[in-house]
Amino acid sequence: MTAMDRDDKSSNGFEKLTMPADAQAMLAVARADGITTVWDRLAAQQPQCGYCAMGVSCRNCAMGPCRVDPFGEGPQKGVCGADADLIVARNLGRTIAAGSSAHSDHGRDILEVFNATARGETTGYRIADEQKLRHLAGEWGVETAQRPVEEIARDLAAAMFEDFGSCKSELGFVDRAPDQRRAVWARLGLTPRGIDRENVEMLHRTHMGVDSDYANVLLHGLRTSLADGWGGSMIATELSDVMFGTPTPVMSMVNLGTLRADHVNVALHGHNPLLSDVIVQAAEDPELVALARQRGAAGINLVGLCCTGNELLMRKGVPMAGNHLIQELVIMTGALEAMVVDYQCIMPSVTDVARCFHTVVISTSDKAKFPGAAHMPFDPHHGLEIGKEIIRRAIEAYPNRNPDRVRIPAEPVPMMAGFSVEAILGALGGTPEPLVKAIADGSIRGAVGVVGCNNPKITQDYAHVQLTRRLIENDILVVVTGCAAVANGKAGQMVPEAAALAGPGLSAVCRALGIPPVLHMGSCVDNTRILVLAAALAEHLGVDISQLPLAGAAPEWYSEKAVAIGAYVVASGITTVLGVQPPIFGSRNVVNLLADGLEGVVGAKFAVEPDPEKAAVIIRRHIEAKRRGLGLPFVDPETIHEPEVARRGGVVAAGQQR
Amino acid sequence: MRTVFVNPERCIGCLQCEFACAVEHSRTRDPVLALFEEPAPRKRIHVSAGPLPNTSFPNRCRHCDPAPCQQVCPTGAIWRDQVEDVVLVDEAKCIACAMCAIVCPFDVLTYYPLADGANGRAVAVKCDGCIDRLRAGSVPACVETCKVGALEFGDINEITAAGRRRETAVILAAATNAELAQPVPETVASWRVLGAAAANVGRAGGVL
Repeated sequence: MTAMDRDDKSSNGFEKLTMPADAQAMLAVARADGITTVWDRLAAQQPQCGYCAMGVSCRNCAMGPCRVDPFGEGPQKGVCGADADLIVARNLGRTIAAGSSAHSDHGRDILEVFNATARGETTGYRIADEQKLRHLAGEWGVETAQRPVEEIARDLAAAMFEDFGSCKSELGFVDRAPDQRRAVWARLGLTPRGIDRENVEMLHRTHMGVDSDYANVLLHGLRTSLADGWGGSMIATELSDVMFGTPTPVMSMVNLGTLRADHVNVALHGHNPLLSDVIVQAAEDPELVALARQRGAAGINLVGLCCTGNELLMRKGVPMAGNHLIQELVIMTGALEAMVVDYQCIMPSVTDVARCFHTVVISTSDKAKFPGAAHMPFDPHHGLEIGKEIIRRAIEAYPNRNPDRVRIPAEPVPMMAGFSVEAILGALGGTPEPLVKAIADGSIRGAVGVVGCNNPKITQDYAHVQLTRRLIENDILVVVTGCAAVANGKAGQMVPEAAALAGPGLSAVCRALGIPPVLHMGSCVDNTRILVLAAALAEHLGVDISQLPLAGAAPEWYSEKAVAIGAYVVASGITTVLGVQPPIFGSRNVVNLLADGLEGVVGAKFAVEPDPEKAAVIIRRHIEAKRRGLGLPFVDPETIHEPEVARRGGVVAAGQQR
Repeated sequence: MRTVFVNPERCIGCLQCEFACAVEHSRTRDPVLALFEEPAPRKRIHVSAGPLPNTSFPNRCRHCDPAPCQQVCPTGAIWRDQVEDVVLVDEAKCIACAMCAIVCPFDVLTYYPLADGANGRAVAVKCDGCIDRLRAGSVPACVETCKVGALEFGDINEITAAGRRRETAVILAAATNAELAQPVPETVASWRVLGAAAANVGRAGGVL
């Protein structure tokens, strides 16, 4: 029995797997055609191992593998003597290091191309935002006066390369944090020193016989995550802005309806904008457009998936086909000629699904090869040429399309994107003052970052959309990134007209500024924009980030990167609610530390709450408590409860195709 | 009467009993080499997922007496070892008619060639109680590998008597308001509760 075969009384049986209608329609295709999806594989994996789910299994050495009986009667220590607390902490530490490494290696790739571009060694790249480059150079102590832009860029690149090493006592962007926060980090030994260094040190510490104090391992976990948030990820975001442009508000479209039946459709999937940006240039090449016409297509249509899609949506308004759990379904439209993948979150199954259609999967990173894909390695020295070759390959697949199998299941929904910190401050008139004022007078209660992935354990998009809706209804500004942003876009909550969905205070602010109540801040590395915005608000008020009425939420997270993000957000002073439980429940001490003890240490903590209605209540109470702490008008947190209508009514999103 | 007793609230779905069972019924009985054997050794215990996430049940032959499978076997291939009190299949006599599978109350019959079989035919494969281990005075492989106490081997009356003592303690503790360790620790309970909550998200109302 597969997940999709289960009896269900609702109309098509797919509502409990995924919320958006386009995905439900594609699941019907999957069932009819006998194509396996992520939901089938999740069902086939049941039951999933409780030792692993609770974090009490260890395979770090060959005296093991070991596991601790969470019921307390069987073995309580691994062969080396590690107890449940240490095993859980070591596993979590390695997870953070993996997530932090993924973001930071992405950041390094951007930095390398930035450096090569500064030296004139690339094609298809340029310094697109010279103002931002000069501003960054100033922050990093690089001389800018009377110097050509390439020289400044070279020096900035050299300074940033040092952040990856071990010569420094703190990372360059740490200065962006408010003094109070830096003091907390310094006192606890959390100040990140080197991006690679913290990751390597975590692998060292979690080797058998090194760090055997679970709390000490977890503290280094926070430092490792800070090296991501204020290091690798932040470099990725900032340099991407320099090379590809700092995002400004832009309207686009989202969902599988962005595919066009009469076009060569190319999906750009993964996380790194390096190649996809030149593909956008290549797709406009007149020769290639002519070739597409010659092959019978009306033109070339690029769509985004996951965070590569977010990078392109933010800067170029490229339409977005969908988020994480759409990656298999987009192929089933039968209208996709090529899926171009870079790295991260690309399911190995996409080539299996592609084999059922004419779709060519093109892998582009030597770090990420996929059996069954055509490998066209990316080389920035010939960026544009490779981009054109990839588009040519997609065009050549178009005549192989079977028109009888084309099923584009929805009309696209409009969404607004492009809210970099610069754009938000720009909309406010160049200073955070109007936002601070709105928060101070209570028309906006606070702000929440709803971020993170999709996870088939949670009905796709539902938790993102429902939590966001409850927050904006209660006058809480929501900023979104990654899959959470795409979910809200599909649900129609990211257009200026969605101000009507917000509470009266937030709604008035949105209408005055012409912005949605849910602001798209970018890809998952762009969560650093949220850190920068939070730091700017704290600086403006002269307080620590942890005193602000802010919260984070990752309602449908799945990846190691999300764990690193959650850790750096909390370590930066922002309490975060997770919708999916992390593998820590085998250790009461670790749970207590993360869900309670951290509050007294970094001024923020984690909570786990899968139900978005309940998560909204947790967050609203937290925000009102922070308002009380700042001496702002507040509502007694104890009086906040789930709305009665929550169980009956709900989100019928503006643009939702039913 | 000795049996493998199941404490389902203890099962955490690690599937290690399944693996240990397949290895025990391989030719080499070696956890690495067994993976490369042809025909593949087969498990005779089956851990099924429960109705809620993070619940599961290890299902195996209960060695009924009288055993419905033995009663309906047309060739007399199924028989009971009177000493160890387990129901066994004679590979040579089995005609793979599946009558035993049809009548089994627990659906534990599968059909595969035996790892150490004589003829390579698919025959009825089911738990043999690890009879070699029983004869040697040790416990079945599934019980040995289970570190959470979900599988217990012993005299059924003694096991249930121990269970009654636990239950009595819980009841009296509740009645007298005494402090008592929960039968399932808080950590494990949280894991199950949150898993169930995730599965229920959005299903009670909302947009769905």
